[in-house]
Amino acid sequence: MLSPVLRAPWLRAPWLRARRRTVVLAAAVLAGVLLAGVLLAGWAGGGNSGVTDVDGNASAVIYQAGHRPLAPDFTAATLTGAKLSFSSYRGKVVVLNFWGSWCVPCREEASTLSYVAAQYQPSGVSFLGVDVRDTVASAKAFANRFHITYPSVSDPSSVVTLDFTAVVPIAGTPTTLVIDRTGHIAGAVFGTATYPELTAILAKVTGKAGG
Amino acid sequence: MPVNVALGHVSNACLIAALVIYSLSVVAFAGDFAFGRPRRAAAARAEQAQDRAAALAAVGAASSTAAAPARPEAAKAAAVPGAPPDVPAGGADSMPELAVPLPRAIAEAGRWVQTALALSLAGVLAHTAAVITRGLAVHRAPWGNMYEFVTALTCVAAIFFLFVMIRYRAWSLGVFVMGAVVVTLGLAETLIYTAAGELVPALQSYWLDIHVTAMTLATGIFFVAAVLGFVYLWVDRYAKRVAAGRAAPGNGIIRRLPSIEQLDRLTYRTIVFGFPVWTFGVIAGAIWADQAWGRYWGWDPVETWAFITWVLYAAFLHARATAGWRGRRAHYIQLLGFTSLIVNILVVQVFIAGLHSYAGVS
Amino acid sequence: MTDVRAPETDPFDPAAEPDDQSRPGPASPGRGTFGAADWLKWVWRQLTSMRIALVLLFLLALGSVPGSMLPQQGTNPAGVQQYDTSHPALAPWLSRLGLFNVFGAPWFAAIYLLLFASLVGCVVPRTFRLAGSARTLPPRAPRNLARLPRSAEYATALPPAEAVEVAARVLSGHGFRLRRPVEPADPADGGHWVSAEKGYLREAGNLLFHLALLGVLVSVALGGLFGYKADRLLVQGDTFADTASALDEFYPGRFVTAADLGPFTITLNKFDASYISSGQQRGQPSAFDAQISYTEQPGGPTRAGQLEVNRPLSVDGAKVYLIGHGYAPEFRVTDARGQVVYNAATPFISGTTGNFLSEGVVKVPDAQPEQLGFTGVFVPTAVDVGGTLESVFPAADNPVVSLIAYAGNLGMNTGPSQSVYQLDTSGMQRLTANPQVLLPGQSLKLPGGRGTITFTGYVPWVSLAITHDPGQLPALICGIVALGGLLLSFMIRRRRVFVRARSGGHGTVVQVGGLARTDASGGFEAEFAILAAELRSAHEQAGAHQPAAHQPQEGE
Repeated sequence: MLSPVLRAPWLRAPWLRARRRTVVLAAAVLAGVLLAGVLLAGWAGGGNSGVTDVDGNASAVIYQAGHRPLAPDFTAATLTGAKLSFSSYRGKVVVLNFWGSWCVPCREEASTLSYVAAQYQPSGVSFLGVDVRDTVASAKAFANRFHITYPSVSDPSSVVTLDFTAVVPIAGTPTTLVIDRTGHIAGAVFGTATYPELTAILAKVTGKAGG
Repeated sequence: MPVNVALGHVSNACLIAALVIYSLSVVAFAGDFAFGRPRRAAAARAEQAQDRAAALAAVGAASSTAAAPARPEAAKAAAVPGAPPDVPAGGADSMPELAVPLPRAIAEAGRWVQTALALSLAGVLAHTAAVITRGLAVHRAPWGNMYEFVTALTCVAAIFFLFVMIRYRAWSLGVFVMGAVVVTLGLAETLIYTAAGELVPALQSYWLDIHVTAMTLATGIFFVAAVLGFVYLWVDRYAKRVAAGRAAPGNGIIRRLPSIEQLDRLTYRTIVFGFPVWTFGVIAGAIWADQAWGRYWGWDPVETWAFITWVLYAAFLHARATAGWRGRRAHYIQLLGFTSLIVNILVVQVFIAGLHSYAGVS
Repeated sequence: MTDVRAPETDPFDPAAEPDDQSRPGPASPGRGTFGAADWLKWVWRQLTSMRIALVLLFLLALGSVPGSMLPQQGTNPAGVQQYDTSHPALAPWLSRLGLFNVFGAPWFAAIYLLLFASLVGCVVPRTFRLAGSARTLPPRAPRNLARLPRSAEYATALPPAEAVEVAARVLSGHGFRLRRPVEPADPADGGHWVSAEKGYLREAGNLLFHLALLGVLVSVALGGLFGYKADRLLVQGDTFADTASALDEFYPGRFVTAADLGPFTITLNKFDASYISSGQQRGQPSAFDAQISYTEQPGGPTRAGQLEVNRPLSVDGAKVYLIGHGYAPEFRVTDARGQVVYNAATPFISGTTGNFLSEGVVKVPDAQPEQLGFTGVFVPTAVDVGGTLESVFPAADNPVVSLIAYAGNLGMNTGPSQSVYQLDTSGMQRLTANPQVLLPGQSLKLPGGRGTITFTGYVPWVSLAITHDPGQLPALICGIVALGGLLLSFMIRRRRVFVRARSGGHGTVVQVGGLARTDASGGFEAEFAILAAELRSAHEQAGAHQPAAHQPQEGE
């Protein structure tokens, strides 16, 4: 039944016959090495490399002009209940900060953000918070505590985060994005934003150093 | 749907009846050893055994390789020319008893075997009735907790063994396998009895029927293979002792048992039957695990031990193709595999917390 | 294992399958040097031997045992921590040996990789051999067929050449591969004969089985590389969007990034659990279902759905499973200034005590002037048993919360992230001497005017598992193929049948002989008997036509 298939002429090639053992050996070893490589890569990759929030390991990124992703528009309720549309910020430099009152690194960077917001306000830079997986009561208490005067929108279901994750790799909170006047994302800090990182990005985007 | 308690009671009654009838059949099988008619080909085989013993003694009996199942040539040499005409001079592939048609074989087996056979059949009927009524009582497949599982698997084992015994006319194995069934059922009744009840939601899936049915079938079949394995080891040890001169040949019980080769072959064929069923059960379990828990394999303790059992039975099949590992060692492996199966049911599912803990044992 | 260097040996001949009785060692008499290449060859021969395969199988089984006995890091990290604390001397050693992550440990990987190397090393030559044997013809018929394990003999009126012809047709009709003597018939060859062989699929099935196992391994690796697992706890009424920051746990494969998550959102509209209320199984769950609505992408249409155990939701290439559920009591906390600083449903996790007695924590980091924290126990159906509250039924028939209040520094303003289910009281002062019990609607006033906490109600929560495994379907297919190959290799026997016909007595004597591989699973006796009977009747039928042809000759 199998004979027509297996009577292929190449199986009888002289060079193959003469070195059949070597060929078999080599094929098997190659297969084994490939397999081992694939498995070890897969095994090492899966498993416990949990990625939730970046704990103090910030990485700051600046996108060069022409490589800046467009920030998606969104409409959400602020902590006071008013409706806010992100498109209303077009024409201004916006620092968009994803945070939550439950998030320890967000609490660490809160005073920095508040300070930089005040520092860059004369230059026309606006700060907007996106409060993720949180409640209004806790968010207001947080804003009170850290003297945050800029508004935040509520994103309890992370839909806004989802939209932004489609263009920049937001892996957790906190994440801070700097959006330029044309509405494109010019820079990002993944993790706790430090003063030097944030001001460096703002300086690049606004063209002004130190507000 | 509420449990039908009346049918539950019927099921329990049928099971007790089955236990009693099985016990009687074991007595009858044992009676056959003590008082039954001598076997047809026993005379021929006794001479075969002596020839083999002599051959073993000649080459040095200690080597397990030599004690491996005889080559076709050796078996032919041992076939006695004067044997009854319906014992073909066949090689290792033949089972002489099969040449005799079934009704005649039963008639010749003697009244003890006939009684035992009738009792076993009656017992199997009662046992099957118990399993079926339990299923009707709880409106689902009757293997949802450990008690039901053990009742069902012993039923499978009994049915399978009856089939094997009748097909190969291996009456002498009845006492061992039915005896094991009696002991197991008795322990189940006394130790892990659970009244008929509903299933937790995690088990309400048609994959339950498929996966656990396959595992029940496979376990019942491996149960028979394990008992046969013990018998093999016993007969093999006896043959070695005879060859070494430490025991007299012609032990009455052992003479009535099938030959070593036949026992080995029966066990092998049983495992060959059960191994694909176990493999299918593992695959079905993986499909069910994916539906219920989101992953098809997570090294849950029960999954791991099902894998260990599979690997050990695979080792048995490999051992049979490896020189020096056929015979005794292969059967040790097979019994190790069955042990891991038991550990899975009795120890892992009960004591080790995992997703599988469904024992229903309080 | 079969030796590729001698492909002409007959697979039926037991002597040709040495079954590694003779595995020549590295030293060969008369050779001067023994180089690295020879050592490699020796190692390879050993690796691909059945004996080593056996040993590796044992090691695989043995190595899996600790993986089932000890808590494993991947599935039960809490258990590993517990083991660590209860066995402080032993645990570090076990950890070094990789026993808390057996199935990901390098030594376990080495075992199965070696086993598969051995498998490949055996399967590839055997595939060549099968190809070879599929090209070679069955051997010539032995002279004396009566010495074969199965044989039969009878007479027929047909001349020998025709008898063999008829036999060949019958055998061919059964699917046997035939070999006939080279024309013209050589009398030294013993006259007319035909050899027939069948059952090559057995070896093909065997090889298919082993290759399919390899396929399963590759599929598992595929899933590990390109798949992911994620968990999310969702409170009734809440919505979540499938993005990395919204997941409680996210385990991506090596080549998976957060961008590979499907952009769906799920809302838990209602969750119901029903329990058996009477009888021996009182308290056992009888059904749970989660009413959800979901969108496949932002702005897309909203669909209604139902999640049940054993019935996952398929969306955006991922599957969403209902894994568990629990209670989330709702609290409202006002601080010293009278501001509402906390107002949320707080998921509590049920422990091992049963009947959904759940524990949880409320953290109020922005209460002023001091941060507040509470540890609580939620009892769904509370009954006072000698001073302690116990839950006697899993449904919330008589819900009660018992709280212990703390004030101070939660440790949340700097430092590592904290679990939302655990309260670090090292920087806090306990405010209430005894746990305070609250019924729904009741409040607890904190001493020192620090504020109030009110137990406003409770809602259920569900835990969802979101998984994507591209290796899942290939693994299933390979598993089924493996099963098919296994069944083929067990059910098909390699067997040979020979027919010889020679003139003798009145007419022709036909001898039929057959044999099967000795470790075949049996049944050849029956097949041979049927074949022999069929050959006999075919010869009789054909022979019935013969005398008519001869009669005119006799009449003349």
